[in-house]
Amino acid sequence: MGVPIRLAGLLAIALLALVASLLVGGSFLAPGDLLYALAHPRANTDVVTILWQLRMPRVCIAAVVGAELAIAGALLQGLLRNPLVDSYLTGVSPGAAAAIALSVVAGVAAPALPAIGFVAGLGTAMLVAAFARRGAGLDAIRLILCGVSLSALFSAIVTLVLTRAGADYAAQILAWLAGSTAGRGWHDLFFTLPYAALGLAFALAAVPALNVLRLGETRATAVGVNVARTQWVILIAAALLAASAVAVSGSIGFVGLVVPHLARRVVGGDARALLPASALLGAALCAIADAASRSIAAPAELPVGVLLAFVGVPTFLYLYLNMQRARA
Amino acid sequence: MIALRDAAIGIEGRTLIAPATATIEAGRFVAILGANGVGKTTLLRTLSGGLRPLAGTVRIGDLDPAAVGPLERAHRIAFVTSDDAPVDGLSARDVVASGRYPFHRWWEWSEDAADTAAIDGALADVGMTGFSGRSFETLSSGERQRVWIALALAQEAPVLLLDEPTSHLDVRVAHEILALLRAQAKAGRTIVCAMHDINDAATYADALMLLGDRKMLAFDAPERVFTAALLERAYGIPMEIVRAASGAPRAFAIGNPYGADPGS
Repeated sequence: MGVPIRLAGLLAIALLALVASLLVGGSFLAPGDLLYALAHPRANTDVVTILWQLRMPRVCIAAVVGAELAIAGALLQGLLRNPLVDSYLTGVSPGAAAAIALSVVAGVAAPALPAIGFVAGLGTAMLVAAFARRGAGLDAIRLILCGVSLSALFSAIVTLVLTRAGADYAAQILAWLAGSTAGRGWHDLFFTLPYAALGLAFALAAVPALNVLRLGETRATAVGVNVARTQWVILIAAALLAASAVAVSGSIGFVGLVVPHLARRVVGGDARALLPASALLGAALCAIADAASRSIAAPAELPVGVLLAFVGVPTFLYLYLNMQRARA
Repeated sequence: MIALRDAAIGIEGRTLIAPATATIEAGRFVAILGANGVGKTTLLRTLSGGLRPLAGTVRIGDLDPAAVGPLERAHRIAFVTSDDAPVDGLSARDVVASGRYPFHRWWEWSEDAADTAAIDGALADVGMTGFSGRSFETLSSGERQRVWIALALAQEAPVLLLDEPTSHLDVRVAHEILALLRAQAKAGRTIVCAMHDINDAATYADALMLLGDRKMLAFDAPERVFTAALLERAYGIPMEIVRAASGAPRAFAIGNPYGADPGS
């Protein structure tokens, strides 16, 4: 099967996942009602309100966040030639979490939190990059070490705030930390889209260089890749994507680490196919996880991040180990 | 054409080769010889523009390779390094296709007719046409070296630098690789190749550049470089020059297999 066909298959899976997650939730919508509501967004019925004001923005946010995290993970794994790297490598998530935690106890209003999370996440990534500079480019080992140590520092700040803050504050912070799309609306999606688009543009600009970097930095330089510039482009792309995801949904782990591996199994390592495949799989996975988080314990909500870890990690380990055995 | 003018070669301020002047004409095959650590790789890196000469100038044609970015260099110079970073999940053809990177803007993602011709031509030149779909990891050392050379050929650069392309290869494969480089020189490419096997170098190269004593000891036809005195100076071990049946000179180190320090 050719790569274009496999990508088309992934697109179909992603669309199915989106539609399925529109159907389920606190109340199940009949497909007929759903079609009517989709065709008449201005009609004045309960179904239209549920679909357009509650579910649609959440499903879109979940899909966008999933795609962003998966692309960021694929970019960083390719740049560092390290399969254990995820989209939060540069401390985006703990950096944003620490800023959010501090803002919550400082009494900052909830609508301002995504912007604070975004700026702090991006800022942390740039701080890590500044520490990891070597010559004009970045040192891969130093980048990982600085990312891990700054992440530990910011996580400690979050823990400190949680232990000192009152129960109300702690609940608000924890809800954010758990990673969730509950209560998110259109304005959150519109907040995140410009940064997502910018990050995507940087990512696409790095695609040919990313492919050649699979030969190692020395050989990539010999065929004309400006490795230092490519490192910055990819790092900025990944930071923008991860920070704008974190800003609207909190920290959703697992997607950025695992989805690129699954995508690689389906379409191979060529970045031209790997990035779209990662985006589609990430979107599908997060949309389904979001639907499950709304319906499993309805009317209560489970955080998407927790759900993904509980269901996704064992599934991934099973699949991956099986595939390894099949190859051996 | 490659031109060194009073060029001092070194790295991090440490001079390995005192200022030297040399010209390598287009279509020539030059082998760089010398002991380990004498500066062969550093000289190649300087020619490739990755390092600046510590003094003097290096020119590839009229270009100062250290003054331009990697992309412009890649159009003029192809460099087969001895770097052995692992290559995961790529076919032989994928690796060779990387040589077409300099011909594409960042938004041009697909292979065009010129790419296809260059990639398939390069694979044919190194005798690897039948291997194009094979996974790179499954290739033997000699086949991998051919693929790396094909990558450089696909770059269509007039100058080809190689860092010890025949180390770790068996005798037959080493000769096949050198014959292939010889053919590329005949086709008009300028070949500069660091080597360890001095007799192979003398057989295939037009000229030998002998490094030692922190300078360029000789840069001349193999006949003239193959003197016991010069080679002893370069390698620090007694040498004997003999004539093969063909009349070509052959050099052999006079070993000392049973101990005693030759100085005592």
